[in-house]
Amino acid sequence: MDLDLVSSCLCVCLAGILWRVSSVVLARHRKPRPTRRHSEHCHLAVFLGSGGHTSEALMLLSALDFDRYSPRTYVISEGDALSARKATALELSKAANPDNSTVRISSPISGYCGCLNRTCTASCLKGRLREPYTILTIPRARRVHQPIYTTPVTATRSLLACIYHVTLIPLVARTSFADVLVLNGPGTCFILCLAVLLNQILGIHSPRVVYVESFARVRSLSLSGKLLRPLVDRFVVQWPGLLEADRRGECLGWLV
Amino acid sequence: MSGPPSTPPPAESGPATESSPRKKHAFVTVGSTRFDALVQAVQTDAVLAALRTRGVSSLTVQGGEAVREFNAEQLQAATAGGARYGIDVEAWAYKPSLQEDYERADLVISHAGSGTILDVLRLRKPLVVIPNPSLLDNHQQELADALADLGHLKTCTVDTLAQTVESLDEASLVPFPQFDGSRFREMLDEEMGYPPEPPK
Repeated sequence: MDLDLVSSCLCVCLAGILWRVSSVVLARHRKPRPTRRHSEHCHLAVFLGSGGHTSEALMLLSALDFDRYSPRTYVISEGDALSARKATALELSKAANPDNSTVRISSPISGYCGCLNRTCTASCLKGRLREPYTILTIPRARRVHQPIYTTPVTATRSLLACIYHVTLIPLVARTSFADVLVLNGPGTCFILCLAVLLNQILGIHSPRVVYVESFARVRSLSLSGKLLRPLVDRFVVQWPGLLEADRRGECLGWLV
Repeated sequence: MSGPPSTPPPAESGPATESSPRKKHAFVTVGSTRFDALVQAVQTDAVLAALRTRGVSSLTVQGGEAVREFNAEQLQAATAGGARYGIDVEAWAYKPSLQEDYERADLVISHAGSGTILDVLRLRKPLVVIPNPSLLDNHQQELADALADLGHLKTCTVDTLAQTVESLDEASLVPFPQFDGSRFREMLDEEMGYPPEPPK
């Protein structure tokens, strides 16, 4: 009898959670856009997925008004010092020349923080530069060449870190992670998006998520593109052949 | 901002010698991936001869691991091969930035990485790309084909490199548009609820 009661309670709870999750996921399509005044700030977060992903993401950001999109949070993967350097190079060049929207970021500067080596960490960057930005490091969901059967372990570790930064800290400190999150792949950015989804399920402030598919994707979406398409607020591709007529997303042409 | 824009092209192409056409420089890059077939292809007689007919007198090869593993003999063979066609050959594995090499080159032969393609096309340099067939998820081929269809570059295989270099008509290449950040900016401003910018 007691067991029946417990199990039916569990069922009700589970049904409630499922309803909440499904309503959040479905509601994403209808989530109304906010309205902002011209002078209002917008906290921007961007995931730098290393290599070409980082270059493209920073290229996109270089076009933005950094007074408006302020502060900025750069999320990088563990061990990706190069992305941190490139982000810092962009910040420095924007600070020196705020109107320049064609800053070259392909070659990162070196020696900006005095440590001159490749192990320079985000915290050492932050200490040196009191710019309105932070660099946040999260564990990789999957390393290159990592065997597929160990991926759940690393992915879980990555998810916990994302939840810590996106959900837990804002919840405890009564702040928000960001107003908008820009993603362009690869894998780990999906994990970041899951943490944002958790915020929505819990009903706490969550950033709008914008996904921009890489310039390199001409005829088929990347895996992260396929995974994120139903979850993000805005799904943008750069080649027209990538979108079927009845599916969500838009093509804005070449953005980088 | 990082590359000093004032860097003049090296003396290689400097004072024009008598009536001979300007000496040209070619740059070959494999990026951070392994692409030994391309490194080997540019050392073949056919490709060197094709470069020579284009007036190329110096060639720099960024060859990644393939060059790192070169022994002294192989390196010498590479320079000697070039010398037979009057081409100074220089090869090295990696460099943090290739921007200066792109700027110096009159012709770039490259793997089909999207970053390299963007960097080179924005400098309006003639570009021949060779998608690496050993990459499993080969969307490089798609990008190369799409940009070749639009006339921005030429694409070929290591086997057809010599003919492609020889028959390349620089004037027929369509200039690639410069970076325009306004579309992303306007999209994000709209998404975040900012009023549209007043037209200037």
